[in-house]
Amino acid sequence: MSGHVKNMCPQLSISQAARTLLSLLLVAAIDSVSAGVVCRKQPCGSSLQRSLKLTKLIHKESVDLLKTYKVSQGDMSELFCQMSINNVPDPNISGLDPSERMLSIYSHCKAFLPHLKRVTEQQTDLQPPSSALLSKLSTAQNRTNGLANQINCIYQTFFPNLPIPPEPVDGPTSVPPSQNVFQQKVYGCVVLKRFKEFLSRVTRELRTLKSQVCTRRTSFADTNALF
Amino acid sequence: MLSWFFCILLLGLRVTESQASGLAPPQQVRLDADKAAQKLSVTWEDGHASTFDVEILRTELMEIVLNETVGVTADQSTGKHQWNWTSPVPLECTSLSVKVRSRDGQDVSEWSSQQILPGLDLPDNAVAQMYPEGKTVPVGSDMTFCCIVEEGQQFGNLWYKTLQMNETMLSRRTYATTMTIREPSNPSGTNVVCSNEKNIMVTGAVVFVGYPPLPSDLVCETHDLISVDCQWTKGRNTYLFGKTRQTYYTLNGRNCTKAKNSNMHCGWEQWEGNWTLVARNPLGQFRLTDAAQLGHRVRPVAPVNLTTPEVYSWNASVGWHWNYNGYERLSLICQVQRTSHWNSSTQTYTGHGLTTVVLKDLQPDEEYSVKVRCGSQKNFWKWGEWSLPLSFQTKMDRPKAPDIWVWMDSDNLGRVLWKPLTKRESHGQVSGYEVTLWSPEENGQQTFTLPQSMYSHPINMTDRGSKVTVTARNPAGVSLPANIVIPRHLPDTEDTTISKVAFNGSGFPLSWVAQTNASCGYVVDWYNTSCTQDCSVEWTKVAADNTNTVVQSSNFFAGVRYTFSLYACSSESTVLLERWHGYMQELVPSQAVPRLSPNQEGSDVQLTWDQIPLEHQRGFILGYTVYLTNASHLTLLANITDPQLTNHTVRQLVLGSYKFTVKAYTAAGEDGGATVSISLDPYTYWLILELLVALGAMTCVLILITIACYRKRKWVKKAFYPEIPEPKLPGDWGITQGTLDVKPSPHSMVHIVEDPVWDSSKEALVSVPEEDEEGTGDEAADTDEPAVLRYYNQVVEEGSSSRGRPHASDSSASSTGSMDSGHTDVTYTGIQTSACSLAHFQPQPDASQCAGDGGYRPQMQSASCPEDPQAGPEEHLQPPVGSFGGYQPQCSWKQDSPEADGGLDQAYLGSPTSVTSSQFLLPHDTSSEEGKEHPSSASTWFHNLLTGKP
Repeated sequence: MSGHVKNMCPQLSISQAARTLLSLLLVAAIDSVSAGVVCRKQPCGSSLQRSLKLTKLIHKESVDLLKTYKVSQGDMSELFCQMSINNVPDPNISGLDPSERMLSIYSHCKAFLPHLKRVTEQQTDLQPPSSALLSKLSTAQNRTNGLANQINCIYQTFFPNLPIPPEPVDGPTSVPPSQNVFQQKVYGCVVLKRFKEFLSRVTRELRTLKSQVCTRRTSFADTNALF
Repeated sequence: MLSWFFCILLLGLRVTESQASGLAPPQQVRLDADKAAQKLSVTWEDGHASTFDVEILRTELMEIVLNETVGVTADQSTGKHQWNWTSPVPLECTSLSVKVRSRDGQDVSEWSSQQILPGLDLPDNAVAQMYPEGKTVPVGSDMTFCCIVEEGQQFGNLWYKTLQMNETMLSRRTYATTMTIREPSNPSGTNVVCSNEKNIMVTGAVVFVGYPPLPSDLVCETHDLISVDCQWTKGRNTYLFGKTRQTYYTLNGRNCTKAKNSNMHCGWEQWEGNWTLVARNPLGQFRLTDAAQLGHRVRPVAPVNLTTPEVYSWNASVGWHWNYNGYERLSLICQVQRTSHWNSSTQTYTGHGLTTVVLKDLQPDEEYSVKVRCGSQKNFWKWGEWSLPLSFQTKMDRPKAPDIWVWMDSDNLGRVLWKPLTKRESHGQVSGYEVTLWSPEENGQQTFTLPQSMYSHPINMTDRGSKVTVTARNPAGVSLPANIVIPRHLPDTEDTTISKVAFNGSGFPLSWVAQTNASCGYVVDWYNTSCTQDCSVEWTKVAADNTNTVVQSSNFFAGVRYTFSLYACSSESTVLLERWHGYMQELVPSQAVPRLSPNQEGSDVQLTWDQIPLEHQRGFILGYTVYLTNASHLTLLANITDPQLTNHTVRQLVLGSYKFTVKAYTAAGEDGGATVSISLDPYTYWLILELLVALGAMTCVLILITIACYRKRKWVKKAFYPEIPEPKLPGDWGITQGTLDVKPSPHSMVHIVEDPVWDSSKEALVSVPEEDEEGTGDEAADTDEPAVLRYYNQVVEEGSSSRGRPHASDSSASSTGSMDSGHTDVTYTGIQTSACSLAHFQPQPDASQCAGDGGYRPQMQSASCPEDPQAGPEEHLQPPVGSFGGYQPQCSWKQDSPEADGGLDQAYLGSPTSVTSSQFLLPHDTSSEEGKEHPSSASTWFHNLLTGKP
């Protein structure tokens, strides 16, 4: 890239240090411009940046949600989240390449949704109608659904040749059939804790994906332009 | 062998006992468990007895939980026996073994076969569990929780909320704790958790603790005369939430699905007369009842569609509709609340199916808002809801007659005043006023039309005695006329008493003596006293039977003096009765006394000032205080309590500068004060008098001296001008160098007084005639002589004496001493002017010729006397010691410093160390005299002056 810049300015007879500095600045400018142009050219209006912002927002809200949840569950509820519960989605994002990891994010979003819904239902029977926990749970569901849609859109845009990810079906992380009240409390705490951890990983993952995918596409575009 | 015997014996005894009781053991024992209720039902057959022994054990540890004898009769239809038992411990906690035997008194049957109720702590159920879970119990219940630890783990602790509980081992994996729950739980329930040996939470349970429902105040009523609507109060909080725990209500067996949260309503479409409300939750139920006839529980709905069919100036009608036809036959009582911008009132109307009312006593051109609610007039139950408000505006009407008054500015000018009509008086927007002057003399009238913004009309002297009519006009018409007669004469204010009136917080209270001529009452007007032109005048009218009023106005301001005038009103004119001055609030004067000036009268100072202008007084001036100002400190000199007194005299002041401050004070305090300064000068007449007295005294003294001198003139002459003896020439006095053939002036004398002993305190010199020593007794006269020039020098010459004849060496020595020391006193009198004396001293070149002569020798004038001025005084004044013992008058004196070449006067008078001697009139040649004539003329004159010569 710097060679490319150097070729663009052969007539400059300036000192080596100044030339190096100028080159760095130009590289940074072209890089940023190219990335912005490439990402803005996405037909789907939701870019990774938007998804990243949304993820950050949901993550911030999930922290508050978990805190509210623990407060509303009574004494010793701090220990609920330490118990092991099966069937709750794992917060880790799997996959080797960006497409697989993006697909994993999407799948996790979809997997968490029924659990959030179940927790909302369970807590509706345990909280007064005016409880703030219920409204926050509802908000978390809506935002997670929106994030899943954005990820799906980005996936289809970035990887148009790959098949659209299927909707997750009941599997090892399906919603548990029935639980007693104590199990519901523990279940809700674990779900929300893993949901928060998942969103933290998604934030980091989207940052990485943004640099990887956009840079790759920019380089690809530059290569096409050169040759 | 023996043991076998015993065994057979015991077996035989037992068989004998059974056969003897005849009771058969219960058969087909069966256990049924209601785990949620922790109830165990035991059923058996073939027991002909009515009493049974029941034994329940924890299977795993074989601990007896229950062993009691119960009476159970067989069911007639099935022939089975059933006994129920409620376990304090959840049945899931561990397995229970149950066995039963029949009893008939002391006879018992064999135990039935042991039946086991399996618990959930069996090895095949390896997970951790806690029971009971999700149970709802009332506050105050005793609860036993059991924890079944996971297979392979060890029990740790049991926690209720945050309390660690004591546990009891029920089985290998099961531990239980019992507690009394005394507090209701939060909405999500109270947590009980169990931990393993590593203190890690392994399982838990939730218990909901609350109260059964306790509603109250069930009341049923009808709004539409058909249906019923029941209400009640929720009552005590149950602390139970959720679908399975919340309170459900039924009314006459019908679910009240809308009765949630705080909305405790339930209805039915038909009036039933009796209602039963049942409130139910997992902890219990509560029942409320109500009964009433329909006509006694009518609460009408709110009227709808309010209208105003007719609206007038002073009344209007309001109509509405009912949503139910049944109201047409209902006797109603309705309240109509009307609100205007100045008032709100409620009126009540009654009638069958009331749908229209007439509102009376409305104000013209006023906007009203009305709303209506009704109730059943017969068997009134409750007021219905208020309808939505309806607004309307009444029509305009002609205005009220204005309130008018006549105020005379001066003898020739005055104004007819009237107050602006308020909204309640104008009955619509006033468009203008008409003022009509009716002149009785000319029998004519003048009409003036004025705009709505004018509230006065000028009148003059020609209008006096006329009747004034003022009317107001608005779109609805013209008001009734307001009449007043312009007085023919101005009220005589000088004869009217003026009093002070104090503001009492709400107004100025005025009272007066009733007047018989006040046929139409009294009028009190007031205005700003300091106002001089186009003053704002307010007035109020008092009925004839009142003799007091409180004048109130929103236009009263603090610090402003108001004049209140009371008039008696009659059909002919108005008569001024009384006047008051008053302040709403007195303030300190805003201005110091003007024109403060001091006037010195000898040692007194009179301060005068003017009165503060009325507008700056801001209160009744109570007096003045006079201060003496010293820097910033004020010293009170006088407190003048008469406000009319505007001067003050400060007496007996010594000469000097003074500052006086005069402050006026009111009830609120003193003003800032006016300050004036004065510097007292000496009294001029006394000065002149003193001067004249001094001059007179001096004149007298001079006259006395003159007389004395005249009478003692001989003595004076002798004392001051003694005869100088002519020198006696003993021999040949002829010297080649021309001896002066000039006789010394007969009256010239030289007195040289030499104190034998130096006395520093002696300031006077003794005047001694050279030959006549009688003069020594006249020293006082000598010192008093102003014309005598005196030098105070001390001759320091050991052995010299006044009695001894002065000789040259003494003189020289004295001169030398005087030049060397300031201790030399020399007095010379009768000094004769000499050219030589004014010249520099020149020693005689042949002084040695006279050295051997000890007698008196007349002084010789040296020709070279003035020719060696450069010679030092030392060498000139130091003749050889003893070389000249006779008298040798000093030739001249010289300044100490040889360089100093001062003039004559300086040399003669200036130096305190200079010395000279009497100058004898020595002859000298004409040439030299001519040469010296000029420089000696001034000294000669001065000398003559001193000596009294012309």
